[in-house]
Amino acid sequence: METRLMQFARALRAAGVPVSMAETVDAAGALTALGIKDREPFRISLRSTLIKRTIHLPVFDELFPIFFDGKAELPPDMDNALENLSDEEAEQLALALRQLKDDIADSLRRLLRGEPLTRQDLNQLAAMTGLDRARNMRWNEWMVRRMQAALKHDSVRRAMAEIAKLLEQVGFSKERLDELRAMLQANIEAETGQLQNFAGQRITDNMQARPPSEDVEDLLHAPFGRLGEDEMNVLRQEVRRLSAALRSRISLRQKRQKTGTLDLKSTIRRNLGHGGVPFTLSYKRRQKKPRLVVICDVSTSMRYCTELMLGLIHAMQDQISRTYAFAFNDHLEYITPDLAHGSAQEAVDRVLVRMPPGHYSTDLGGSLAEFDREWLDLVNHRTTLLMVGDGRNNFRDPETGIFQEMARRCTRTIWLNPEPPMLWGTGDSDMNEYLPFCDHVLQVQTMAELTAAVDELLTR
Amino acid sequence: MPDAFSSPNQVRESLHDQGYVCSSEIATITYLSDQLDKPLLIEGPAGVGKTELAKVVAAATGRELIRLQCYEGLDETKALYEWEYAKQLLYTQLLRDKLQEVLASAGSLAESADRIAAEENVFFSMRFLLQRPLLKALLSPEPVVLLIDEIDRADAEFEAFLLEILSDFQVSVPELGTLTARVQPLVFLTSNNTRELSEALKRRCLYLFLNYPELEQEIDVVNLKVPELDGALTRQAVEMVQGLRNLDLRKHPSISETLDWARTLVVLNAERLDRGLVSDTLNVLLKHERDLKRVQQRLEPMSGDGPEYQGPEDEDDQSRYL
Repeated sequence: METRLMQFARALRAAGVPVSMAETVDAAGALTALGIKDREPFRISLRSTLIKRTIHLPVFDELFPIFFDGKAELPPDMDNALENLSDEEAEQLALALRQLKDDIADSLRRLLRGEPLTRQDLNQLAAMTGLDRARNMRWNEWMVRRMQAALKHDSVRRAMAEIAKLLEQVGFSKERLDELRAMLQANIEAETGQLQNFAGQRITDNMQARPPSEDVEDLLHAPFGRLGEDEMNVLRQEVRRLSAALRSRISLRQKRQKTGTLDLKSTIRRNLGHGGVPFTLSYKRRQKKPRLVVICDVSTSMRYCTELMLGLIHAMQDQISRTYAFAFNDHLEYITPDLAHGSAQEAVDRVLVRMPPGHYSTDLGGSLAEFDREWLDLVNHRTTLLMVGDGRNNFRDPETGIFQEMARRCTRTIWLNPEPPMLWGTGDSDMNEYLPFCDHVLQVQTMAELTAAVDELLTR
Repeated sequence: MPDAFSSPNQVRESLHDQGYVCSSEIATITYLSDQLDKPLLIEGPAGVGKTELAKVVAAATGRELIRLQCYEGLDETKALYEWEYAKQLLYTQLLRDKLQEVLASAGSLAESADRIAAEENVFFSMRFLLQRPLLKALLSPEPVVLLIDEIDRADAEFEAFLLEILSDFQVSVPELGTLTARVQPLVFLTSNNTRELSEALKRRCLYLFLNYPELEQEIDVVNLKVPELDGALTRQAVEMVQGLRNLDLRKHPSISETLDWARTLVVLNAERLDRGLVSDTLNVLLKHERDLKRVQQRLEPMSGDGPEYQGPEDEDDQSRYL
């Protein structure tokens, strides 16, 4: 059992769930307390000790049956449909099978006889379908389908229908035929089950053998535009880690800083021990309650980095409770509720589904005007206004007047632009028009720059 | 330490006696937490009975409940202990004569200092230690239930500070040394998931995710808490609430709101759910104006008592929270 548990923990780790040694030990402890006789308490004890985040629960639910329902090792339950046939019937069937192409006839015969696939067959299939290289559970279904195609399940079903007609003509009884068909169907299903178990098992083995790579440092300095899907995944994790690091750094900085006015009451109290002589002074610590209004461009020109930008906004929303996030392409939408729940990935997907980018439809000026009409009261002396976008406006009215008013009302205006300064003002970029009203304009082309920008944003 | 429970089933029964309907999952994990002496971290949307679970466990085991409500800026002096300066000062004043006496026979300055030093622990003793919830829970001679509520509201560094307490059930007070729990308390932590907790904290806890209950379970809860409400009406009302949870709302109605609504229906002597009644009492369930408006609009197509009504935005509740 211990080995199985260790393997399970390893597979979870490979699937991206952080499972520590201590938690594995806890799981073993829980098993001792509850026993392993009943499935449900067993499952609950593993789940409560190994999984600590809601987003990891589905991973657990997926892997648990593969590991502990113990079907993978056993051959599937298949029946031999041919043993009940009389000699005459067997003869007729053999004749009918001869009408089919050889390979299909072989497959059909094998399935009718209920011969399960051997280890060797399965390994061959895995090599053929690319299952050996699959390292992610979401490939599971797809791999099963490919293996089914390789085993010609569909053709076999069709062939059965064909020879059923033939057999009927030569006087096969109807009941017998139905029986044959039902058994074939059952055997195909059993084999599919075997394939599913095998695929799940093989993928978890692959995951254990080579856990996802972790060289983040280079990626931090790669421009957003040049990242592949895998690299994006690593970066997403990095965003999570950074946001956690930022959080504690900020909270410590706020605590340690010696600013504010003298707190007389607390100073007297602190120095009672020294007979009222004020050795140590204490200050009124102003709770920083910044308010952040983020307006993010999700149009086509920003496409390559919107996802990460939104991911970061999601992280910031976690950090600053008064974050009001907006996204725009041809119109403006309030997206804080979309970002409020769930993992960054899901939240970002929700926004992108809601606001699909169109071609040449970006309307920055119009979106600013909409903001002015509906939401301007969010901007006050506490607000930091954060614009994320390339300032490209499709030659529409940039509405600089409104932007000026917004910038005037808030404490700070920061613009994060993924384009290098030399491109500002070229083509349909109105960046230079907005420039005078911003307190900071930061070019954010890589993750490292983005982190630096956020750090600055949160601490000043 | 004697364990509070003997089996998951017993947990379930004794909690039921306290008026808390719990699934086998909750019962099993609570039992495990007791058996393994591990704190239990409960996450889930607001109002599903996270805090309530700790309360009923305390009631069911007859233990005292010590509660620490977390908030931004909570620190050790509020959570753990503080020296009572005023009392210390008062004692020095009152004991001045005695001190004079002690010092009178001292020959040199060094000797007097030594003598005062010898009396030091009089002033830094438990007598002058103001016990805050965490220390109180550790030092209590009777077993207690410690509830650390809404841990996600506290700062990240407070979490780090909790680690020693949660893993070893001990704290270090510089002047007194390390204080270890006499009897290990049952510890519950709750979190509304407003921010991600640190891995280190999670590693030390068992994890329970509480979601809105299933239909039958919620009906059980209402039956138990508001027995006056007619059976058929209870079912209708709960089905309606469950339907609301499938809608895209800012704040979904929680169990406590279901109960409030059930009580409202009792007070109004409602016999059946019709549109007028529902729309009049909707503000018991929904606390945001936008939500109210949205549901009012959706009520239009809802005929008389159609509790099977499902919103068009059929969003899985769990996925929304994940």
